[in-house]
Amino acid sequence: MNILELKDVSCRYAIGTPFEMTALSGVSVSFEKGKTTGIIGHTGSGKSTLVQMLNGLLKPESGKVLLYGADIWENPKELPKVRYRVGLVMQYPEYQLFDETVRADIGYAPRNMGLSPEEIEQRVKEAAAFVGLPEDLLDKPPLELSGGQKRRAAIAGIIAMRPEVLVLDEPAAGLDPRGKAEIFEGLNAYKKAHGATVILVSHSMEDMAKYCENVILMRHTQVIKQGSVRDIFSEPDLLEESGLAIPAAYRLALALRRRGINLQGELYTTQGVRRAILAYQEGRGKV
Amino acid sequence: MIKDITLGQYFPGNSIVHRLDPRMKIILTILYIVTIFLTKNVYCYIAVFLSSILLVLVSRISLKVVIRGIRPILYVLAFTMVINLFFTKGETLLWEWWRLHIYLEGIYRAVFMALRVVSLIIGTSVLLTYTTSPIVLTDAIEGLLSPLKKIRIPVHDFAMMMTIALRFIPTLIDETDKIMNAQKARGADFNSGGLVKRAKALIPILVPLFVSSYSRAEDLAVAMECRCYRGDVGRTKFVRLSFSGKDFVAFVLFVSFGAAVILANLYLPFGFKV
Repeated sequence: MNILELKDVSCRYAIGTPFEMTALSGVSVSFEKGKTTGIIGHTGSGKSTLVQMLNGLLKPESGKVLLYGADIWENPKELPKVRYRVGLVMQYPEYQLFDETVRADIGYAPRNMGLSPEEIEQRVKEAAAFVGLPEDLLDKPPLELSGGQKRRAAIAGIIAMRPEVLVLDEPAAGLDPRGKAEIFEGLNAYKKAHGATVILVSHSMEDMAKYCENVILMRHTQVIKQGSVRDIFSEPDLLEESGLAIPAAYRLALALRRRGINLQGELYTTQGVRRAILAYQEGRGKV
Repeated sequence: MIKDITLGQYFPGNSIVHRLDPRMKIILTILYIVTIFLTKNVYCYIAVFLSSILLVLVSRISLKVVIRGIRPILYVLAFTMVINLFFTKGETLLWEWWRLHIYLEGIYRAVFMALRVVSLIIGTSVLLTYTTSPIVLTDAIEGLLSPLKKIRIPVHDFAMMMTIALRFIPTLIDETDKIMNAQKARGADFNSGGLVKRAKALIPILVPLFVSSYSRAEDLAVAMECRCYRGDVGRTKFVRLSFSGKDFVAFVLFVSFGAAVILANLYLPFGFKV
């Protein structure tokens, strides 16, 4: 079942000036409920614009954005409610921290929702736990946190709304591998606990292979391909044409295949290829 | 969106106006403003207005953009027109009610005032802001003011401060936009409630904006020092400004236009002086 859907959405920036620029042209995509969908594309392919369509931050010039089949722009007064249901973590979200303490900052969205203080407190704690933010940090001013901690606090600020759809624009950009892994684990935990749908923007095919079930491939303001991770990876040329790097492990598997070594199984992640190579050796040993 | 502000924005292009030396453009702008304020005669008003339109055409900036640039001052314009219309005393009374009078002179004055303001804005924005990038503009200001260095006025530092300030306006606008969106995504509401509530709603935007501006200033200072910036002492320039034939032609044209206006003020028979 599709929870969110874009129908033939187009969008331009700075219309009528020499800086006019098309950001999306006739994009139609759908997001399955409860699944993790990745949006991948080169810089400037329209990923960030697309995500901002999902919670009504940008209005499509033409086309529709449907949440459970209902056009979110039909009643603009209800948009804040849409934004609570579709939580968007923008790129480099640590810049949005403003309150005196981390606790208050994570509680900003729940306060806007008009929840009771007890409920807010509970949600703040829960959100901090999901992103792995220790409780003693909650009473510190956000500026005293490290970069990675700030990022987590900002993500917690969205999770505290308990959105049905959690959209993240490059949540791991600029983080070290460990910080990255921790954030993705936190997202998975949230997804499992609340049956949420997750939409991830990235330009790393590795992340897509590791964390997503479906992938949307974008190039030059258009959606080139939409399908499962396997579908997308089955056309490595398409990926390279779109300016995306194929994961090193998968490239190795493809190179081996060209030399007649056919690995079996999931070949998109380092772990998967490792398993496949070991299995291949074992198989040969037996022969 | 705040991104749509066009007043004071640079539109890249390759017209003759774009290619004039920016220092000359500043001089021409001053000449043009003086000419506009010298105008006292119907023909001159029309000529000045037509000249501003001519400038738009020569610069190949679309008329739409120029009109959009005027829109923000329409209220001021309407206000001046009304004031001039009702409070100019003249000889030919046309209409009277209570303390309000409309004289024929008042009508002329209101119309001419509007023409003057519109030509002023079109002329200066086409000559300078629309066709000159801010960076080049500060370079030109530094060039024009450099004689002041002799009396130890830190012209270069002022110019650098201005360059940096101008350079970061679009960045700040972008950033404000991003932060506003981020807070909207968290349910912030900037458009409803009373004054106090609206002012309070700005805190989540202003705090992050200040924080990032400070850290950016620091980054910039460090980056400049890393590239051995130490004021203008011994600094050479990548782009050297130089006057060429077209600059002198433009200068002569503008001066003659000013002179023609002065002569017309003095000698043209249609002596409608307002």
